[in-house]
Amino acid sequence: MNKELEHSFVELLEKHQNIVHKVCRLYTNNYDAHNDLFQEITIQLWKAYPKFRGDSKFSTWMYRVGLNTAITLYRKSKRTIKTQDYEGVAFKIKSEDYDDTEEQQLKVLYKAVHQLNDIEKALVFLYLEDKDYREISETLGISEVNARVKMNRIKKKLKTILNP
Amino acid sequence: MDELDLLKKDWNKEKEESKLSAKDIYPMLLKKSSSIVKTLFYISIAELIFWTLVNVLPFFLSETYRTQLDHVYTNKTILALLNFFSYAVILLFIYLLYKSYKSISVTDNAKKLMESIIKTRKITKYYVLYNLVVAFLAMVVGLYFGIQQNPDISNKLAQAGSTETFIIYASIVSFTAIFIVLLWLFYRLIYGLLLKRLNRNYKELKKLEF
Repeated sequence: MNKELEHSFVELLEKHQNIVHKVCRLYTNNYDAHNDLFQEITIQLWKAYPKFRGDSKFSTWMYRVGLNTAITLYRKSKRTIKTQDYEGVAFKIKSEDYDDTEEQQLKVLYKAVHQLNDIEKALVFLYLEDKDYREISETLGISEVNARVKMNRIKKKLKTILNP
Repeated sequence: MDELDLLKKDWNKEKEESKLSAKDIYPMLLKKSSSIVKTLFYISIAELIFWTLVNVLPFFLSETYRTQLDHVYTNKTILALLNFFSYAVILLFIYLLYKSYKSISVTDNAKKLMESIIKTRKITKYYVLYNLVVAFLAMVVGLYFGIQQNPDISNKLAQAGSTETFIIYASIVSFTAIFIVLLWLFYRLIYGLLLKRLNRNYKELKKLEF
């Protein structure tokens, strides 16, 4: 692959890297695993880049490749299982955690989202990225109605996790 | 306020500690992927080579085997046809695998990507299954002719009663079948472990259709 292509890719990835970091933050729970997944998504993006035609936004294209890698292609490394959580402690939510400061609330919310399954996380990710249901359904390969129904269920599920 | 709306406020904040520079990204492009598609690819190539060698090597390496084959297949046309068939099957599987791998695209939607991988895995599965069935038949037929052509054993068998003969043949078939089934379970375990997460996520997506 030529240098020019490499250069334009790295420039775009550097600019939009936060998207990949957000996928990694959602699907991994420690520093090493985060870096592993980031590395794998970068390779998949780079491999697919020559076919990127620019008819969609680079960021939109990244959502698809990033999520596909996290949900389907990524093989969790051994260290993903062995190393400790970011917090260094097992994750348990107590109801009294959830009415403190906003920072505390966010911490608990992130933990709750981590408890969702891979597909639910993908829906939450796209929702948080302000994607409409059409784009969510196209990225995951499900119908728009089902995406909407599932999203409502996830919201309810999160409520239950947060207020057991 | 919705829980997720609260999260949204924080979501787009860039975390400085994880920010990478172009200098950090360049070396990443040179690293090798460790995706399940890559692993699946290596496993299917290994299987293709292994089973092709199992089929082909005895013929080229052992003269006794060739003589025995000549003995069993007195009709040369049948032997040629069988050879042609087995090479055609190998070529067909190589073609199907190649086509299937080509159709796996990381830019497809999640469900389609999973389906392409599952389809590829199925092709390898059928190839292994085909070889196991052939191996089973070859072992049973081989043992039968081996017994027939060995005067000591065939004489003893001729003296034995029909029940004993039946038991001997039934045991041969059962042991061969057990051996083949164990091999099959071993394959299932390897693929099961490799594709556990994919299968779980695929089921979850399928569930949304109802």
